[in-house]
Amino acid sequence: MFETRRLRSRIGLQLLLTVLVIPFLFPLIAMVQGSLVGAGWGNYATVLSLPLLPGFFLNSAVIAVSVIAITLVLTLTAAFGFSKLRIVGKEIYFWLLLAALTLPGVVLLAPLFATVTQVGAYNTLWAVILPLAALQVPFTVLLARNFVDGIPNELIEAARVDGAGMIKTFWHVMLPLTRPIIAAILVLVFINSWNEFLLPLLFLQTPDQQTVTLVPQYFVGQYNNDQTKVLAAAVLTGLPVVILYISLQRFFERGLAAGALK
Amino acid sequence: MTTSSPRRASRLKMPNGLPWILPAMIYSVGILYYCILYTGYISTLRWDGTSPLQEQVGAANFVHMLQDPVFWGALAHTAIFFVVTFTVQVALGILFACLLHSKLYLKTLYKVLIFIPVVLATATVAPVFRLIYAPDGALNGVLTAVGLGSLAQPWFSSGTFSLIIVISVQIWQSTGVVFVLYFAAVGQIDPSIIEAARIDGAGDVRIIRSIILPGVQGTTIAIATLSAIGSLKTFDIPFLITGGGPSYATEFLGTLIYRVSISFAQVGYGAALSVVLLVLAIATAVIIRTGGRRVGSSDV
Repeated sequence: MFETRRLRSRIGLQLLLTVLVIPFLFPLIAMVQGSLVGAGWGNYATVLSLPLLPGFFLNSAVIAVSVIAITLVLTLTAAFGFSKLRIVGKEIYFWLLLAALTLPGVVLLAPLFATVTQVGAYNTLWAVILPLAALQVPFTVLLARNFVDGIPNELIEAARVDGAGMIKTFWHVMLPLTRPIIAAILVLVFINSWNEFLLPLLFLQTPDQQTVTLVPQYFVGQYNNDQTKVLAAAVLTGLPVVILYISLQRFFERGLAAGALK
Repeated sequence: MTTSSPRRASRLKMPNGLPWILPAMIYSVGILYYCILYTGYISTLRWDGTSPLQEQVGAANFVHMLQDPVFWGALAHTAIFFVVTFTVQVALGILFACLLHSKLYLKTLYKVLIFIPVVLATATVAPVFRLIYAPDGALNGVLTAVGLGSLAQPWFSSGTFSLIIVISVQIWQSTGVVFVLYFAAVGQIDPSIIEAARIDGAGDVRIIRSIILPGVQGTTIAIATLSAIGSLKTFDIPFLITGGGPSYATEFLGTLIYRVSISFAQVGYGAALSVVLLVLAIATAVIIRTGGRRVGSSDV
């Protein structure tokens, strides 16, 4: 894009890029550096030796896996229906779903709280999983529908001519072709659920039910504001998403771009 | 089987898809719209959220809102937050997209660095930001080290600086998304147009203004929608970094709803604020979408 044929302009641009990226890197460096102040790696040893810590990770993992499972099943079937099948008033249903994209989670606060306490789901992971999945579905359906629209109708028709029912067609024709978008949804929903803060804050009361996003607050209480331990805990909770993002980087960016650049 | 080939297409008319979309509709639309209607009902109550005592007060919560300076403050902060984050992110996003479409070294590394803040939870990074701006934190340390110690101060006690910090964390956290969208959009622009402009003597600035900007206009509108709704949804950053303070200087609608509903146990008032937040979010999305389309078509 920019002129890089002369060495001087190339170095200049490289320098500009580096200077612009430093502010993005700085807090990350400060975080790792801060976590090593004092006891060094000992801070991590202390944090990791906390008996409750695996529980935080396990709860977050259970929430993420459940939300991903619910979201994938609902999204793929709905995308197939919206994109390839005949539905009376199809776009009305679609807009009902899309309107929910604008919904801020905090709006659900009062009704969810009332409902969750009524059905006795308070302080259980379900109280987080069910609403969180409901909040993911509108966006993932939008993503998946755009993708499935690109699959030729002829493929679906050919399967039907061969006598395959809709379920068979979905399973043997649709699903294998949607792998890229499944990967994108997987990463996106994983990051959203792993990073969710408000719902666990509201509904998970005891430390044995809490998630990784509540760890910093828990540690502030535990360690009487020993920031080095808090930062070590923060680094540990951030690591899984960073590793996942870097290993699936390409899928993630493509998926994001495909969804918004209709 | 006597169907001729043109009729064959209609014989293959697709079966009813309603059963396929119903699970998603019932689950997602069901839960979310149920909550919205429920919120609408609660907004007419005076209620602490737990007691069986609920008093119908009609529109009193909404009247109270119009007289609440904290509500208007939250709206103003949201507007400032949107204008600044949108402007800075668009500028940075386009610049990064153009730079990373040029022949430079280590491009993947830069892309990953810009994007890592996106995938990290605000809850994960909040402690480090609180530390950087703390009275004995990194920022004051740097200022003192370079001889500007007189500028060092407790940043979180200043309302203006607290708002700037909230805005800067948002920019730090979501420029990656804006960049990725622009990166894809700039990639769609035909390189030969840029090459031709360069032969005609256009400089980099002129190329960005006359070729890139119009070329990515659709993306800019999408980003405007995303960041306007995102601004209205703002919760995690002020809640975790400034707590909405000092004295409501970084209060947003989300944090105000939380404060009112949970800390003050005025669930009815919180629900009224939620209704207004939802109406604003939908209205914003519609206005930007239709306005954006009009601008887009008048340019053609």
